[in-house]
Amino acid sequence: MSTTAAADSAVETPRGELALRIDVRGGRSVASHQYHQGALRVLRPHYLDDSGQVCYVVVNPGGAYLGADLYVLEVEVADGAKLLLTTQSATKIYRTPGSFAEQRMRLRLGEESQLELAPDQLIAYREASYRQNTHITLHPTSSLVMSEVITPGWSPDGASFRYEELRLRTEIRVESRGKIGLLALDNLLIRPPAYDVTGMGFMEGFSHVGSLIVVDRRVDQALVDELHVLTGGHDAYTGVSLTATANGISGLVLRSLSNSTEELNRLLGACSALLRQRWHGTAPLNLRKY
Amino acid sequence: MPNTPTSPASYQLALQQLCDSALPTGAFAHSLGFESYIERGLVHDEQSFAVWLAAFAGQQLTYSDALAIRFLYEDVSVAELDALLTAQLLPRQLREASIKMGTRLLEIGAEIFPSLELAEYRELVGSGRAAGHQPLAFAVVARSLGVPLPEALAAYLFATLTSLTQNAVRAIPLGQNAGQRLLRKAAGDVAAAVERAATLDRSDFGAVSPGLEISQMRHERQRARMFMS
Repeated sequence: MSTTAAADSAVETPRGELALRIDVRGGRSVASHQYHQGALRVLRPHYLDDSGQVCYVVVNPGGAYLGADLYVLEVEVADGAKLLLTTQSATKIYRTPGSFAEQRMRLRLGEESQLELAPDQLIAYREASYRQNTHITLHPTSSLVMSEVITPGWSPDGASFRYEELRLRTEIRVESRGKIGLLALDNLLIRPPAYDVTGMGFMEGFSHVGSLIVVDRRVDQALVDELHVLTGGHDAYTGVSLTATANGISGLVLRSLSNSTEELNRLLGACSALLRQRWHGTAPLNLRKY
Repeated sequence: MPNTPTSPASYQLALQQLCDSALPTGAFAHSLGFESYIERGLVHDEQSFAVWLAAFAGQQLTYSDALAIRFLYEDVSVAELDALLTAQLLPRQLREASIKMGTRLLEIGAEIFPSLELAEYRELVGSGRAAGHQPLAFAVVARSLGVPLPEALAAYLFATLTSLTQNAVRAIPLGQNAGQRLLRKAAGDVAAAVERAATLDRSDFGAVSPGLEISQMRHERQRARMFMS
């Protein structure tokens, strides 16, 4: 059994590669190693506030993922470093006839490090197939906040679910003193042609999915309950729950369905703002990309 | 020409006992999320419950339970599969339900169907190296009894849908005959799930629908409820 679908990918030379290592230098987080190749690069880093957290914006100059495109990202946030990783614009998946576009991402977080992963939405157009495999290894003292929004792209007939398949699989492991424990396996698979995904028990009549995963030693049931109350004011159908425990720490997973990217961004943004304020004393994210 | 069997398979009655809804694992206390749909008014009669049941069989039971059972039969280690289930069952109540019923099944199994494999799984659970999940406890026992995989899968899935239907009959409520009609219809969902589970691979494991997950998560905060999940 293979753990990834790599073997099925038609092109093994990545269309875009990005490697980034963030270290602390003089109280600020900076890139100590950076490599890019092909259709992936990062903009010049910037700092949103005086917390020392560095913000990198990933750019795909090609603008879209097409059939058999493979993108590989490798990011390490070293001990004590703080990184905000986002994208310049939405990730668009166009037609991938007989194949699929794929993104493999490997993230490693050191002790007392902090990673916020806040990409723009993923848009899957008609006849698009996409696989995203994310492997994250962190330390019990690391802090991870990752959000994601998936939206169906425009199609000529106005229908929402014209893409072939979306697979977003995330594995999160906690490593402590050489012992590695699996904390969460989040596997989102939507295959509109295979079965009716629109109704009860699947998309519940909605078209957009939002997810938030938080792993941090400060996550507990009280925080989960608080986020549940916070999301109640949004025009979305949302659930949030505490994950299992690995090497002494837990996480939370929030899942939300809605008909609007903006509404899901507001909802996820509100959760992220609460965590930024409480844990880091920093202001809500305002990326002003447009 | 094959001989006409004159006696049932050696495991026949054991499998029936293992899948009987009278087996005291506590399945009567779990809706595995459908109670959220009752509260929202979306599940309210035989027809609407049938829609939920088919989605549950086609998604959750196929991609999580059935795959875990199949992988165990294919010699993936029970410790690895146990860790995967614990990580994949993201809604807390669902994870706890699987462990609660699994732990009971391990106890009952040890008394009535002891085997080396079962003792090993119990030892992992007893020493904190595994959680003890229901589909794995079932699979370990069924395999030790010599039940072939397709039969074990069909029996497990149908037993789960039977418990859920009995719970729906009490909760919605539905008539006893409606419950039987639902189960007859569920046989088709079971056959489809067994067939699909055979075609999936490791990357498919744990792919569950967002709607089912959200309903299971929201159940944690439901005020008036009959079920633990």
